[in-house]
Parts: sequence; structure tokens; C-alpha cells
Amino acid sequence: MAHGGEHVLKVGNEGREVFWNAPYEGILFFFTAIALVIFAYGIYRRWQMWKAIGLPENRTDNAGERFKALIMNGLFQVKTFREAYPGIFHGLIFFGFLVLIFGAAIDATQFHIGLPFFHGGFYLWFSLIMEIFGLAVLIGIVMAIMRRYIFKPDFLGYKGVPDNRPDDAIVLVGIGAIIVTGFIIEALRLHVNINVDGFTWGDWSFVGYALSKTLAGVSYDTTRILHKITWWVHSFITLGLIAYLPFSRLLHIFTTPANYYMKNLEPTGTLKPIADFENAESFGAGQLEDFTWKQIFDSEACTRCGRCQDGCPAYISGKPLSPKKVIQDIKTYWLERAPSVLAAGKKTKEGEEAAIPEPDKAMVGEVIDLHELWACTNCMYCMEHCPALIEHVPKIVQMRQYKVLMEADFSPELQLTYRNMENNSNPWGIGAHMRGDWAKDLGIKTLAEDPDVEYLFYVGCSGSFDDRGKKVSVAFAKILKEAGVSFGILGEEEGCCGDSAMRGGNEYLYQTLAQMNIETMNGYGVKKVVCTCPHGYNALKKDYRHFGGNFEVFHHTEILADLIAKGKIKLTKPVEGLFTYHDSCFLGRYNDIYNQPRQVLGAVPGMRMVEMKSNRAKSFCCGAGGARMWMEEDIGERINDMRTDQAIDVKADTIAVGCPFCLTMMSDGIKDREKEENMKAFDIAEIVWQSMAVEKETDAGTPPE
Amino acid sequence: MNIVVCVKQVPDTEALIKVKADGSGIDEGGIKWVMNPYDEFGVEEALKLKEKNGGDVTIVSVGPARALETIRTALAMGAEKGIHINDPALEGADAYTTASALAAAIKEIPHDIVFCGMRAIDDDAGQVGSILAELLGIPQVTVVTKLEVADGKATAVKAIEGAQLVIETSLPCVITAAKGLNEPRYASLPGIMKAKKKPVDVKDAAALGISVAAKAKIVKMMPPPERAPGKIVGGEEAAEKAAQLVKLLREEAKVI
Repeated sequence: MAHGGEHVLKVGNEGREVFWNAPYEGILFFFTAIALVIFAYGIYRRWQMWKAIGLPENRTDNAGERFKALIMNGLFQVKTFREAYPGIFHGLIFFGFLVLIFGAAIDATQFHIGLPFFHGGFYLWFSLIMEIFGLAVLIGIVMAIMRRYIFKPDFLGYKGVPDNRPDDAIVLVGIGAIIVTGFIIEALRLHVNINVDGFTWGDWSFVGYALSKTLAGVSYDTTRILHKITWWVHSFITLGLIAYLPFSRLLHIFTTPANYYMKNLEPTGTLKPIADFENAESFGAGQLEDFTWKQIFDSEACTRCGRCQDGCPAYISGKPLSPKKVIQDIKTYWLERAPSVLAAGKKTKEGEEAAIPEPDKAMVGEVIDLHELWACTNCMYCMEHCPALIEHVPKIVQMRQYKVLMEADFSPELQLTYRNMENNSNPWGIGAHMRGDWAKDLGIKTLAEDPDVEYLFYVGCSGSFDDRGKKVSVAFAKILKEAGVSFGILGEEEGCCGDSAMRGGNEYLYQTLAQMNIETMNGYGVKKVVCTCPHGYNALKKDYRHFGGNFEVFHHTEILADLIAKGKIKLTKPVEGLFTYHDSCFLGRYNDIYNQPRQVLGAVPGMRMVEMKSNRAKSFCCGAGGARMWMEEDIGERINDMRTDQAIDVKADTIAVGCPFCLTMMSDGIKDREKEENMKAFDIAEIVWQSMAVEKETDAGTPPE
Repeated sequence: MNIVVCVKQVPDTEALIKVKADGSGIDEGGIKWVMNPYDEFGVEEALKLKEKNGGDVTIVSVGPARALETIRTALAMGAEKGIHINDPALEGADAYTTASALAAAIKEIPHDIVFCGMRAIDDDAGQVGSILAELLGIPQVTVVTKLEVADGKATAVKAIEGAQLVIETSLPCVITAAKGLNEPRYASLPGIMKAKKKPVDVKDAAALGISVAAKAKIVKMMPPPERAPGKIVGGEEAAEKAAQLVKLLREEAKVI
């Protein structure tokens, strides 16, 4: 009998006998022990596998910040709630179960040692809370089942083919069954209790009580038998799920929070530089063994929720790439490979000679298709929205590094681009001596002529060589002069920032370029830098510090917002038309610059603004990031055309951008869609210069030829 | 199969070329030096043949100290060793002297095929490959766009006006490479690192036993005349523009 003592049911002593009608606790403990052993074995086995493959990496420093990430995303579900529907159902299940587990613990305590307060008002409120959260879990499960099996969103599958595995169904039905049987048990118990004199508190267990009313006429003995059966079914499903957990998607209950704790604390998008070219034997990731353990562990935190895929410009435009698929393919390969590596390790420990088996396939090329690998624009949508903080982009870049640095096997267009960057320090291969030509007639001094300036205007390749980009440089330089900002350029001494080389896997070229720039800048004692190109901005700000380049770096929209706020420049001339702002990935998701460009545009008199369907953190890439600017786009639809369509959809007549790559891509999109007559793309600096009305007829402000 | 590739270091095609004030040559300041692109086709073809048939690829170059970079570039692509003919007396050497230096070096090593670029993009002479073949006393096929080597024979395809010639020759031979022969590979990083340690023999004219007396001499170098800026003919209507154009052609250009 219950240790908690016989409970006397009467008014004023509301409560119940925990584990009423469910004897044979010995049997229950026996099966609980079995379930826990299986659970522990599963976790242990997994733990061994996590340790089996991967290079070392420290992800446990700075415990405070890590703990914060764990609490915010684990306990408060911040990332998960970013999407309404899955956020809500996951929240219902998560918080529901959290409370139910706590409740079960109270039940168990009452059963074993007795709780003096487990009756009366406390009991009634306890019942009500359990009831609400049990119902919450059930609603959550129903929502999840409806989404997966009725609504069938594409992001749960791949290219229109659903990816529903038996595991998904087992988990959903299993959890649902725990709750349903729980309510049935309650109903059966209440049905018996109703016969007790003075029973008045059924409404506190409103679900079970409502169910119990369907049992009218069922005899006491039948109820007892049904109760007993359901109770054991309930217990076995619960124990079954506990035993099954390490082998199922439920493992994410542990791995995803672990991933929160082990999050990357570096600034968004930072790529770890290759440290030693001279002595390293291999570069990039060609095999699983070339990843760190954490990079492989990422795939264990993945629940195939598909948020990454849902906004991936490559996927949406019909390329084979899906960030989810990449992570899952790595996981599948790891699950194939880890046991044999583990077995070899074990044998070696026992003194036998056992070589780690050679991989039977190439990770890059076979596990991950090369078209997937090269389709990524590094737009950071996947990483921004992954509720498990998985790092997709660095893995893709590392696999590209393997193809470029180790095998030198990559597209001819990109080879030409790299040669151009090697020989003339710009992707087009235009003579390096022409870099400063755009500024010839503007009276802008180079740092060689006058190093005593506040800002270095790092112009970048587009701003120096691309005809459209040069107009942006001119507009911005004129604004700076008009505002009296002290600045200079490097002219011929400037070099390519190397972003496209870095993200296209040519780390060697990138580091060569970066080091040359850093040497030049440090030689002039440069402290503050302003860039019109977000790619240079991001590289100089976050990546150059690895090689001794420590500058305070600004994007020109930040400077413009500041100049306007301080009244240093006056925007007087109204601009006509309906504008939409296209967020550059390297400004928005990489650097959280969403507001400044909008503030600048908002300050332009007469400005009418409209947002595209995808904006801010959900912005849709122009298609040029991650070295895609220099590659052919021959699979699926063109990403820039799809983005242009979004601007057309909101009837914008001007697409405002803050990035020369975006400017090119949007201008091309407008051409492709034959909208040149009534649509234009401008950099924000051009719009500002036009509105300053310093010149009657400006270069900036006239449509590109 | 042992293959020799002759390479020349030339200014990058995009480099700003300034002629020295005295007309003796170009000002080398600020110039980015690269491997002559036609020679690169030769290197690539040699590497392909080596990968198929085995053997060694040796790079030979005549040039000052900086030419070593170009030899290393070819070694990074996959060649085995280099010979760097570096002698101040050979600076500005004519095609014959350069070919004699190359021939002297190549004679000493086994060579089944010798590749040269069809011409160097700096002086555009296009003579070295042919003179080299004569000096080595072996057959030559120039301006080759396709090459097959089998059973001790080379079958080369050469594009001529409106047709293609298929030329068969015995080995050893000299092949001068043209655009279209292949797509030169991008050097892998391990290749670049290994290239730093590959052997490069440095030889001068005396070691090769050649005469440095030039048969041809550059008398003077002159920059091309600066082009006058273009002019956009103004006017609203087509007729007005036409009248303006006729006036300009008659009075300014004096061509009608």
C-alpha cells in the first residue's frame, strides 16, 4: 500500500491517494531500472561516438556567456519562438512537460515520504496546473502532427519530398499517448471518486472530469480493471520513451541545449583562419576527421526543423543545396563511420594492431555534392535562424578550402577571379595602378600625401573598378567633403580585401591580400576605416584582427546616419518615387545594421518607403555573397531575379542598397525583368548626395548607362 | 617520358607599361610579373603527359633573379625541377641568344618533348621555339591547339585559316603551344609549399658555354602616341547632328 498513507476523501481534505489501484511497485521499479539502463547505455554509446571523430576545439571557455545562451534558448526558448507556429507548439510541449515532470516528482515524493501539504487548497491548485499543462502538451502534439502530416510544409522535406521518418511518428504518438492515457487514468479515478460522498472538486481536473462523465454506468469493478490496465499502459509508454530517447530525435532534449552552451562566441560569420600554411599537411575539410568534434556534434543538435532551408536563397532558387541536408548528410555519414572508428580505437586500446578504417567515400564530392557546396552565398540565413545554433557556413567554407587548396579543383571562372586577385589585387584583373583613378578629379588626398586624417576611406574593388561602384565612391566622397569629414584613401596602395577568396575557400590568397592591406594601413597608423562595401567592412572589422589589423571599422550607412543626426549634412531636395531597401547580408545578418540605412532613407525629404516580403533578419540574399559574385549561376532560377521580383511585388520603383554587389545584382535583376524603364537601383550614398542638392546636375542620381 | 618546358617571365597584361626616358627599355617599377600565358599552356600539357606516361617535367627559363618566381609557379603546378639561366649578359637578349642558352641547357638533360609558348606577350617575337628546335636538331610543330603522344610519335593539331592541319612527328620534338591547347591548372597549396623545396639549378652563359653576342638589337623603344579623346556630336535632331558631324569631319578631322 501507499507509503503516503490512506487518504480520507472528504470535503476540506481534498486530495488523492497517489498510485491508487496500482500495486506491484516492485514490477514497476524493475521495468524502470531496465529503461534507465537502456537509456544510460544509449547515452554512453553516443558519448563514445562523439569522442571518436573530430579535431579538438575548446567550447567551454567563458562559462558566464555560455550559461546565458543556455538559459535564454534552452529555458526561455528564445530562438525557437522566432517562428510562431512551431515556436508555439514546441513551447506548449516543452513547458508542458517541464511542469508535468515537476508534478510527477511531487507525486513520487508524496508516494514515498509523504508531503504534509499534499491536500486541500494546494492539492486543488496542483491538480489544476497539471491539468492545464497536460492539455498544453496535447495541443502542442496535435499541432505538430497536423503540421507534419497534414500541412506538410516543404521545409520539413526536401524538394517537395516529405522527410517523415518512423522516429518522428513514434515520438509524436508516444508523447501524445502519455498525455491521453494520463487523462484517461484520471477520468477513471474520478469516476470512482464521484461515488464518494462529498466529492465536489472534479472541476479542478476539468479534462479528466469531463472525460469521466462519459463513463456513466460503468461499474466500480470494471472501472478498477480499466484503470489498472491504462495505468500500466501509461507507465510502459513512458518507460519505453525513456529507453528509446537516446536512439531517437528526442536526444535533442540533451544535444540542442548542449549546443547552446557550446555556441560560437566569435562575432557572427568569423571564420577561423588557417594558422600554419608551411607545416600543415592538409587544408580545409575533405573528410569528417578534418572537422572538429563540435562541428560534427552540430548535426546531433539538428532536429530537421528546416528553418535554415526555408529561407536559403540557394534552395529557394532551385539549387540542390539545403543547409539542413548538408547537416543531415554529415550526420548520416558520421553514423556510418563512427562505429568502425570506435571499434578500431577499442582494439588498439586492448593492445591489438587495428588501423582506423580508411573512409570508403569522399565526404566532399560524394557525401556533399559539389553543386551543393558551391551554391552557398554565405548569406547567413541558416545560422541566423537555426534554433539549435548550428554553424553551417564555416563547414561549407572549410569544404571549399579542401577543394581549392588541396585539390585545386573548382570552377574555371573562380580560377580566373583568383588569378586576377593575385596579379592585380582585384577580381576583374583590371590594372592595379588604376585603383585610385576614380578619385582623380575630386581633390581627394591619399594617405601617402597626407596621413593625418581621421578616417581611411577603404574603397574596395567595386568602388574602385566597377563603373557603377565608382559612382557610389564619388557620391560618398563628395558627401564626406561637404560634411567636412577628414578622410583619405590609399589609392594605388589599396588592395583587394580578400573576402571573396576567403569565402570561396582560397584562404591562402585571402591571407596574402589581408596581410598586404594590414601592413599598408598599419604603416600609416590607420585607426578608423569607413567602407562602402559590406564585404570589405566585415572582413576588415572581424577577420583582419587575426593578422594584427585592429581598426575601428564603419560602414558608410553608419557614417551617413551619424552625419544626418548631427546636422552635418542637410537633406533638402525631395526625391520622388516609392523606395524599398534591400538588406545586404553582410550588413544585416552579419553586423546587425538594419536601422541605420533605413534612418538615412527616412531623413530624405518626401521619401516614401515600402518593405519587401523578406526584410531585415529574413532578408533574401542578392546572390553574390560567398564568392558567388564571380561564378556562373546555371542551376535553377537566378537569385537576383527572385529578389527583384519581391521589389516588383511591392510596386517599388527604386531599390536602395548599401552594397556594391547588391547594386550590381539588383541592377541586373531589373534588366532581366525588363523593368529598366520604371525601376532603378541606387546606393544610399547616391540618394543622399542627390537630396543634398549641392550640385544642380549630379552624376549620382542619374540612372546608370 | 621526360619533358622540358621553356617559360618566360613577362609583365602582366594589365600592367601599366612605361618606356624609360632614354628608350632603352621599359621601367620595371611597380610591374607585376607573371608567367607568359602561352608558356602556361605548355606547362599544363607537359603535366598532363607526365601524369599519363610518367617521367619528369623540367622547367627552363632565361631571366634575371625575379624569373625564379615564375619557375616556382610552374613547379607549384607540378613540375619536378627547374633550370634558371641567369646571367646579366643575357638581359635583353635576342631570340637567337635566348634559344642558344635554352638549347645548351636542354641538350644536357633527357628530353622527349620540349614545349614553348607560341610567343611571349611582351616582345611578341615568336621565334624562340623554332630557333630552339633548329639548334637541338629536332622537328617542330608550332602553334599547336591539340596534342596526342603515343608509340614514340606526336600528333599535333594546328589551326590555320579556315582549316586544321594534323601533323605527325617523331620524338623528340619541339611543340609551341597556342590558346585552346588546354586550361592551365590552378596550383594547389601543397603544390605551392612543395615547390619552395624543389631543386632549381642556376646557370650562367659561361657554364653553358654559349656566346652572348646578339644577332639583333633593340635600337629604341617608344610608347604609342596618346590617343586624343573622342567627341560626342551634339544637337537635338538627327539632321542637326548630321550637319554638325559633316562640319567636324571637314573642318577638324579634314577627311572630307
